[in-house]
Amino acid sequence: MSSVSTPTLDAIDLSDREFWGAPPEQRHAVFDLLRRESPFAFFAEPVVPYIPVGPGYHAVTRYADVEAISSQPALFASGSGAVSIADMPPDLNEFYGSLISMDDPRHGKIRRIVAKAFTPRVLEGLVGNVQAVVDDVVARARQRAADGDGTIDVVADLAAPIPLRVICDMMGIPDGDRAMVLQQSNVILSGGDPELVEDEELMVTAFLKAGELLAGLMTRLAVERRARPTDDLTTALVTTEVDGERLTSQEIASFFILLLVAGNETTRNAISQGVLALSEHPAERDRWAADPGITRTAVEEVVRWTSPITWMRRTATQDVELSGQGFPAGSKFLLFYGAANRDPAVFADPHRFDLTRDPNPHVGFGSRGPHFCLGAHLARREIGVAFQAFARELPDLEVCGEPARLQSSFVNGLKRLPARLTGLR
Amino acid sequence: MTRVEVDREVCMGAGVCEMEAPEVFELDADGVLQVHEPTDLAAMGTAVRACPTGALQLID
Repeated sequence: MSSVSTPTLDAIDLSDREFWGAPPEQRHAVFDLLRRESPFAFFAEPVVPYIPVGPGYHAVTRYADVEAISSQPALFASGSGAVSIADMPPDLNEFYGSLISMDDPRHGKIRRIVAKAFTPRVLEGLVGNVQAVVDDVVARARQRAADGDGTIDVVADLAAPIPLRVICDMMGIPDGDRAMVLQQSNVILSGGDPELVEDEELMVTAFLKAGELLAGLMTRLAVERRARPTDDLTTALVTTEVDGERLTSQEIASFFILLLVAGNETTRNAISQGVLALSEHPAERDRWAADPGITRTAVEEVVRWTSPITWMRRTATQDVELSGQGFPAGSKFLLFYGAANRDPAVFADPHRFDLTRDPNPHVGFGSRGPHFCLGAHLARREIGVAFQAFARELPDLEVCGEPARLQSSFVNGLKRLPARLTGLR
Repeated sequence: MTRVEVDREVCMGAGVCEMEAPEVFELDADGVLQVHEPTDLAAMGTAVRACPTGALQLID
């Protein structure tokens, strides 16, 4: 890490898009400094075309403070927006954030209903499906390399199709609509990355268009499922009642979008960056390949290490105090999960990638509180099955180029990761 | 005899307890948490501490 220049507090701007495309070591050096010297550092908000610029936000980087905020939802609300720094218009906020940008009591009611579809036992029943998807994806990737020049893109050929097919299977999305789902969920979580949203002025338009296309798909499926119910999650959504009240079609559409987007991007980036981390730590890679018994802790370490969702926002509902410091009502806080996950107060040797780290109370699925990741069990299952299959079927996979990083503060993602299968030569 | 009390108002059905101690905790088909007779007290304690919403409490 000698190439990493020492950052200075004054030069740090977390609202600068360039920062988010920088290599992780560089970003972690910045977060280490913030955590140590300025654990509630204040930043001006990035400018979003057509949206009024807000008062700024505090970057929360210590594990204990992230936990304190997350576990007191009455003091630190999600309802004014958890997935954007700017206050979006309320209808937009609820549409794109769904449960994530909702507070109790409504959040609790809806969450309990959808949680039924994501319990460990329900997901246990999906193991066969996840295994079949992973086996097929891996076989196709090998074939693709064999048919071509021996290389694959870890993102497009391995990491993206696995969660896309699993979540689309769960929701009963027809094959013909899946490419659109992947493309539009990319746009929604692009954070305005110039490669995915060409013109920043058009970001809001592209965003709305993506929502419209996905909502259109949902509307079509809703009609079909009401007429002919199946055992998929979409049927459960359209037929479900909360305290005798049906979800509105807008609520259903927005939850549908949440599942598609959240179910895809997060696991994809955990897988792609997990592959990268293993290639950078070959001893750990060999250890996992030799002993599948460490999969449980290895999956947790991949999630801690990659922290695919960089932050969620909370807003103080009244004057609050954190670690002895006061903040007025209305203060915005971004909970930087990746920074909390490298907090030396909680994780011994936090910058060491250790597949048998135990305990590993990481906040990669969010910290304590009602918004803890609904899909955590599903993600763990997918990541575990995927990496065991890679070790078995792709032992010759070798990263052969620089990763292309997504320039997004919200999602810690890779757009491409070139690799070759050396066994083919 | 140590047992677990579930605050039904707070339980969100996240299933973290079930991951930690599947022989004690089970979310049923309606998403309601069922608590079985504990066999492994250590795992049960871990599960109680791991609850993301703090819905579980050990009662001696």
